[in-house]
Amino acid sequence: MNGRSILILLLTFFATLAFTPTAVAQRDVAVIVPPENPVTNLTRGDLRKLLNGEKRTWPSGAAVKIIVRAPGCRERAVLLKFLNQSESDYKQYWTAQVVRGEADAEPFVSPSLGMVIEAVRVLPGAISLVSVGDLKPGVKVVKIDGLLPGAEGYPLH
Amino acid sequence: MLRVSSTAIAIVLLAASLCAQDAAPIDQKTLELLVQQVKALQQETSDLREKVTKLEAERVTAPSVGLASPAAPAVEPPAAQPSPATAEVAPPQSSPELTGAIHDLHGIQWRGFGELDYQALNQRQPELATYGFVPGSAGNFYTGDFDLFLHSRLTEKTSVLADITFEEGDAQSYKLDLRQALLRYEMNDHLKISFGRYQTAIGYYNTAFRSAVWLQTTADRPLIMEYASNGGLLPTQAVGVVLTGSIPSGKLGLNYVAEYGSSDTVRPDLNGSGILNDENDGNHVLVGWFARPDWAPGLQLGGSFFHDKISDSEISLSDRFGQTILNSYVVYVGHGFESLNEVFLIRETQLSTGTVFNMPAFYSQISRRWGHVRPFVRYQYINASEQGTLFNDVGFRAGPSFGARYDFNDWIAFKAQLDHTQRDDLPDLDGLHLQVAFTF
Repeated sequence: MNGRSILILLLTFFATLAFTPTAVAQRDVAVIVPPENPVTNLTRGDLRKLLNGEKRTWPSGAAVKIIVRAPGCRERAVLLKFLNQSESDYKQYWTAQVVRGEADAEPFVSPSLGMVIEAVRVLPGAISLVSVGDLKPGVKVVKIDGLLPGAEGYPLH
Repeated sequence: MLRVSSTAIAIVLLAASLCAQDAAPIDQKTLELLVQQVKALQQETSDLREKVTKLEAERVTAPSVGLASPAAPAVEPPAAQPSPATAEVAPPQSSPELTGAIHDLHGIQWRGFGELDYQALNQRQPELATYGFVPGSAGNFYTGDFDLFLHSRLTEKTSVLADITFEEGDAQSYKLDLRQALLRYEMNDHLKISFGRYQTAIGYYNTAFRSAVWLQTTADRPLIMEYASNGGLLPTQAVGVVLTGSIPSGKLGLNYVAEYGSSDTVRPDLNGSGILNDENDGNHVLVGWFARPDWAPGLQLGGSFFHDKISDSEISLSDRFGQTILNSYVVYVGHGFESLNEVFLIRETQLSTGTVFNMPAFYSQISRRWGHVRPFVRYQYINASEQGTLFNDVGFRAGPSFGARYDFNDWIAFKAQLDHTQRDDLPDLDGLHLQVAFTF
């Protein structure tokens, strides 16, 4: 076995590792809510309406509180991709929402992952996005169109 | 001595034996109890271990149900009792730092908007009677509107919204205008009630951009959507009650709006003659709807019906007109692309004679963002009847606008716009509009 063959084998090995379902799933971003929120599944449309402030209350009556990560974070990039917006579009959109009286303020921007998790634990109507690899106990992962992170067709990645 | 000792020993032995005979049943009873307790504890421990094992296993599988086997069907947890499969129940930990941060969301939210404009026309007569456009000059600087938006949440369901505008008039004078002052109660997503002064829901533009020039792509509003106080044709503001909310409609995403109020409108002639047309509007009714379908994110379709009675102050206050305004629109905003398209029909019926004036109007605006630059093109059309006197200063106007918006950052934008307007019985009008719009 020459060097080239070994190199090809190694590349194949690492490529296989890279594209295993686990690796794909780790790149997915989970939608999290407090454990006491009875919602277990959301459609993409519902999720979009929740994240862009169109839907402002949960079925339980609790006010929706959106917690987002700061610009530059992976969860933020996934959120913008899901909403089909650039960073400036997103800021402009929320400015307009506040001006229209459709929102109290722009979504709360959490500087840290720990704060996101804690906020979702503490606030009854909270919703946020967290990478699967960063999930911590104390929050509930909500399915999107019946899919959990890692499943084929899961929309947030 | 020996006898005494033997007796003592016998007594001690007897006592010991008696004690031993008494102690035996106690130990046995205790032992039985202890055995029962141990068995109970063992059972409890076993149960707890089982639960912990199950929790740990499912904590791992919850996010990784798809990790291990993406094709595996996800188990739907019961709605009322969050399953450990998707939920990790922990007692909420209150953090003063976090609570404080979240509480910052409340209080009064301020947002300001301002502009600095330079507008030049190929005529020396002002096109609009406002913004300090001095007759005789072909170009002027002005500051337009300076807006302060306030929003405050009073309770979980009640909030206050206000729009305080400093509007530039002639000779650098400024007029204070409370363009919005609303007390809103949100029962739920299906019913929100607002009281106060509001922007009427005729069309998309009026409610989407309010007074905030920075939010607009173009340097100015389409004439049909211009504020009445700036020469616009529509009753853009009113005082009364507004009901809004979503209609359960699945993926169609239907919403409604209903208004009842007074929109007493006074509009100046566009040519800067200084004539004010006081319409003395009666109470109006507006019913509107819009849809944001789930299957086309960014798309919004809508329409509205508005009706009130007005007077033409140039003729007689007692000569009333029935005013009906129909509107429909198709808007798409997404992927950096913007397409705004609205159609209007203003129908004035002179009640004394039954004479009807139909005035159609529309505008269409398209823009696309490339990095910081957003080029745009807009075409607008108004065919106001010159036979009546309500909009005889407007008449027929149509033409395109071209330009671009450049966003320096998230707060400051520069816009350059060229306008060409065809007018009946008047020469075509060309204009250049430069604007720096900002928010703070």
